[in-house]
Amino acid sequence: MVLTYQKAAPDRPRTEHPALPWVTTAARLVLAAVLIVAGGLKIGAPALSVQAVKAYQLLPDSLATAIGYGLPIIEIVIGVLLAVGLLTRVSAVVAGLLMLAFVVGIASAWARGLRIDCGCFGGGGELAAGQDPNYLWEILRDFGLVIVAAWIFIRPPGRLAMDSALGLSGRREPYQPEGDIFQGEQPDA
Amino acid sequence: MSKAARDASVRARIAAQREAERKQEQRRRLATIITVAVVVLAVIGGGWWYAAEQSKSEEIAGGLAPVTVQSDGTAVMAKAGVTSPVLDIYEDPQCPVCKQLEEISGPTIKNLAAEGKVKVVYHPLTIFSQEPTRSNSLRAASALRCVTDGKQWLAFHDRLFKGQPSETVEGFKTDDLVKWGDEVGVTAPGFESCVKDQKQRAAHEQTSAKTMADQKLEGTPTLKLNGRQIDNNTIFVPSALRQEIVNAGK
Repeated sequence: MVLTYQKAAPDRPRTEHPALPWVTTAARLVLAAVLIVAGGLKIGAPALSVQAVKAYQLLPDSLATAIGYGLPIIEIVIGVLLAVGLLTRVSAVVAGLLMLAFVVGIASAWARGLRIDCGCFGGGGELAAGQDPNYLWEILRDFGLVIVAAWIFIRPPGRLAMDSALGLSGRREPYQPEGDIFQGEQPDA
Repeated sequence: MSKAARDASVRARIAAQREAERKQEQRRRLATIITVAVVVLAVIGGGWWYAAEQSKSEEIAGGLAPVTVQSDGTAVMAKAGVTSPVLDIYEDPQCPVCKQLEEISGPTIKNLAAEGKVKVVYHPLTIFSQEPTRSNSLRAASALRCVTDGKQWLAFHDRLFKGQPSETVEGFKTDDLVKWGDEVGVTAPGFESCVKDQKQRAAHEQTSAKTMADQKLEGTPTLKLNGRQIDNNTIFVPSALRQEIVNAGK
């Protein structure tokens, strides 16, 4: 065959360590587990979730109510999307922004001297008698999760992702082996 | 056709075919993404709506069951002759979650008492150990103890939650408490001086500490049905709370 043609830029993923996609998978599962547990513990008592948002005293009541009702289901849905690797990048962005918002909220509560429970995993943002807030740990934890989300955003979707199965991931599997495009037609015949 | 021309035409066809495939692939991807996004948004919307539905309060249907103030500062709300099941409500007037509970499930509790399905016992407590919340709570709770008439007690109790201050500021000032008492029609003789001098403060502190120790309370609000603590996922969902209490009475 003499025909040569300019092959489109190779769709092959850039060379990377074979373990890297698995790191993304692990990151997805960690973030997913935290979100699903956090959402699951809150979703049974929406009014309490509303109260937890109000406890930060950052938002007007009506907005806090809307967020309090919506947050548990959003956490669960984003968690499930991350777990199965569907819309991975968007989900990672949403999860990262959520965590960032929590970091800001907790830091602001700390700075204003509020004594609240973060309400992260259920509860109404109220500390039990004799309990002290542990803002530093909460901030470090949530900030760590921001980094996990950032990793997923940079290296999506990882192994075992529906994005790959559905062909939604940015980096497609190479699917144009040499000669295939002629589909049986031999120009030199 | 010369070989060169044939090659050129094949090249063009290949390019066109690839372009078409690429476009088709793009459309398919877009369709998939949109489908997934629509499903996701529908689930979130549905969840949001369900959460709002779950948190809908009952309307107070008719009158209230008679309320009797006990000597230990608790108040019993029950229709005559109703002795079980017993719903104990442990709450601090300064606790925001208690306020939320009163707003969401308070009407259900009052309705159930009026329907004769439960005997309710209110236990006003002070759980806070820091300022300004501790003093706020003590002023409010000891003022409540100055009210002797049951109906007025409940009205003043509700007014306290309505006027709950932020946990970061001094609130429940005695002047306000006296004013609120007038507002809801408290007629107890000496109410004003009882509130201003916090005459019931020591008694309240004592009851509060004893109750928390005896009942092994971890926080407020705590609701106990026949002595057994009810889960948060029940007490903040009026329909679930009603079900739980009605079932306990069967």
